[in-house]
Amino acid sequence: MKTFNIIITGVGGQGIITAGTLISEAAIKMGLNVVMSEIHGLSQRGGSVNVEVRIGNAYGPISPRRKFDLVLGFEPIETMRILSTINSDARVIMNKEKITPISVSLKDAEYPDVNGMALLIPGIKKIYEIDAGDIGNQAGSFRSANTVMIGAVLSLGILPVDEKSIIEALNDRFSGKMLDINLKAMKLGMEAMKKMDASL
Amino acid sequence: MVKFDANMVDNSENEVLFLLSNEAIARGAVEAGVRVATTYPGTPSSEVGDTLSHIAGKSGMKFQFSINEKVAIETAFAASISGQRSMVFMKHVGLNVASDPFMSIAYTGVRAGMVVMSADDPSMYSSQSEQDNRHYADLAHVPMIEPSNPQEAKDFLVLAFDLSEKFKLPVLFRTTTRVSHMRGAVTPGKIREGQPDTGVFIRDIHEFVCLPSNSYTLKEKLIEKEHELKKESDISPMNRIIRKGTGEYGIIASGAAYNSVMDVISEYDLDISVLKLGFTNPLPESAIVKFISDNKKVIIIEELDPYLEYKIRTIAQMNKLDSTIFGKLDGYFSESHEFTPDTVAHSLSRIMGFAVQDVPENKLVLPARPPVLCPGCPHRATYYAVKRAVKMMNKTDTIYASDIGCYSLGLYDPYEEADTMISMGSSIGMANGFAMSTKQKVIAFIGDSTFFHSGIPPLINAVHNKLNMLVMVLDNGTTAMTGQQPNAGENFSPPGDELPPVSIENIARSIGVADVQIVDPYDIKETLKAVTKALRENTLSVIVARRECAILRDKAMQKTHRVITYTVNQDKCGKCMNCVENFACPAISIEGGNIKIDSNICDGCGVCAEPYVCPFKAIEVAQ
Repeated sequence: MKTFNIIITGVGGQGIITAGTLISEAAIKMGLNVVMSEIHGLSQRGGSVNVEVRIGNAYGPISPRRKFDLVLGFEPIETMRILSTINSDARVIMNKEKITPISVSLKDAEYPDVNGMALLIPGIKKIYEIDAGDIGNQAGSFRSANTVMIGAVLSLGILPVDEKSIIEALNDRFSGKMLDINLKAMKLGMEAMKKMDASL
Repeated sequence: MVKFDANMVDNSENEVLFLLSNEAIARGAVEAGVRVATTYPGTPSSEVGDTLSHIAGKSGMKFQFSINEKVAIETAFAASISGQRSMVFMKHVGLNVASDPFMSIAYTGVRAGMVVMSADDPSMYSSQSEQDNRHYADLAHVPMIEPSNPQEAKDFLVLAFDLSEKFKLPVLFRTTTRVSHMRGAVTPGKIREGQPDTGVFIRDIHEFVCLPSNSYTLKEKLIEKEHELKKESDISPMNRIIRKGTGEYGIIASGAAYNSVMDVISEYDLDISVLKLGFTNPLPESAIVKFISDNKKVIIIEELDPYLEYKIRTIAQMNKLDSTIFGKLDGYFSESHEFTPDTVAHSLSRIMGFAVQDVPENKLVLPARPPVLCPGCPHRATYYAVKRAVKMMNKTDTIYASDIGCYSLGLYDPYEEADTMISMGSSIGMANGFAMSTKQKVIAFIGDSTFFHSGIPPLINAVHNKLNMLVMVLDNGTTAMTGQQPNAGENFSPPGDELPPVSIENIARSIGVADVQIVDPYDIKETLKAVTKALRENTLSVIVARRECAILRDKAMQKTHRVITYTVNQDKCGKCMNCVENFACPAISIEGGNIKIDSNICDGCGVCAEPYVCPFKAIEVAQ
């Protein structure tokens, strides 16, 4: 199969590595080859974090910049940062939840307006925006926002990984209350994306 | 976690595991029957230790977070010469610390297999340099093995132990960030049975005593072993032809660069042969001669230094081969930073003449998001208090000597309390020099783990030489930056064990530091008082700022929902911006002109609510 390249971007602490691992483990369950990059920078929480997942015939965990099929943006500024360097017609799902960088606050400035920024980037046609944090809260914890995002991708229907294998991967990772919250978060993410697709 | 632990030590036919190479290395250590494993945590090697600390006991292995890399390698070496397979692992600069014993261990050789793992960091994701540790294999005359992916990381480690035992030499096992931190499918292998649970040391005074008279002979034996190893490298399954082209172009590659090479070949459908090297010292000379003879143009693709290239060009010259060789020395590839499929494609296109599409330049202007101290981090409170104390005492020319750890981030705006940072323990070491050569006040910042690692000798040096400085030991009870590994300062319990904590203040007092204070950094007033007192008295002072790492606390509480968070009472807020501009917690930002605390980010430390941060007492517990 053609390699399916995903980049997941956001801020340390948002569960980005967990999201990448869940998608990858689901892919393994479907018998697909997968490699994932997991770079730990200097800060544990609060810095930019990127994870790449490559499903299919890939050797290394770094995708060519023009070959991304999917961008999962957990934070608007970080999503724009990635989009401006990849030059790709990737599908983009973005969590609207803003996290103000210290560099902005220190200048007594406010979070920049990212609306329309993506249109300045060639190749980017459409960004699906979702309130993953709020939906995660509805599921029982804002920490399940990453699973909301995975649910949203599932219903977009481009991931070479199905709902069943994601559920299996969630079962491997969580138990009890956290499992219930994450299963609900996935469903709510799927519904949110369906509504968005229907309204377009 | 339970299932993961079980899979990692299970000897039956396992399902395919999805592992980080570092986790695969831990599994490899179990399969190889390692009995003693030691480390000092350092990214990108840390997860080997994180994994072994869970599973070692279940596999009959003794595992230790050592005080530093030198102690770690000496511990592992003693186990090996007592007949137990041993492994020591560290980040690349850690091997500098361990290099003194490492060189001698090559001379004496080992008994049971011993592997020394070095995780290098091209592009310096979390390091002070991108030093290429492959040179250590040459320097010590020991065999070196380099995997490219998680499966190889596990398989090659097992082969490394066999090689070590066959030649009675330590084997250098070298990874890089992109290998250590790559996740992929791993099929587990059989666990080697029958390794002795207890070692026995049998003396031989000529074997392990590096007196000049002994070493004179040991050196000759070492070089003999190196010659024998060349034959081994030539037949090793770790060096192999991956694909054959039509004989025009051939690539020799290793490690992470090999992955990029293969991805580029498939992306551009190139006609090219590939020789992959996994056993990289000594090189498989016959295999390389044949490969160069079979291909008119040979391209050497390796990250960092032209390590393979120098050797391969030498082999080509000695064998009078007339193929053209391309690499770094003729400017086609960079000697800095990691390679990606895009950079490899770009270099290859210049040699082979195919067209590549350039990656676009970043057109958007976006605010940076540099690494920051976590919300709730006690170091933030310490830096805030120290900066304020220095200002109050008007010590404008204060020198801040920093060290390796999370607190290195004190470099950044608004704290700017890191003027120097070069190596483990260098804060106090350099403070010695500033105290000798300047009249400026010197403040050294060092973490608890770094203090134990290499902060004690320079403190003794300062006491003995009557050098004045303020040493701030930022004691958060863990080796935080590498992922909260335990250190000597706190109780750590591998299953069933409780280890006695070593007291930082007792060490300081015992070596003769008269002025030792202990503060809770969350108490800004207390810290301010202690720092101003130390700055007033021109002496050698040690302040231990003790408060548990916020992440460690969160993990211990295993909380899914926060109990307490803080909020800004807008009626009281005087908009002085002190919390935003000087305390600078990631949870605090400005929205619509008002200061706001993000309850999803707030860790509930409450330091911002203290009057020294918020004079208007506008920050309150959220209801």
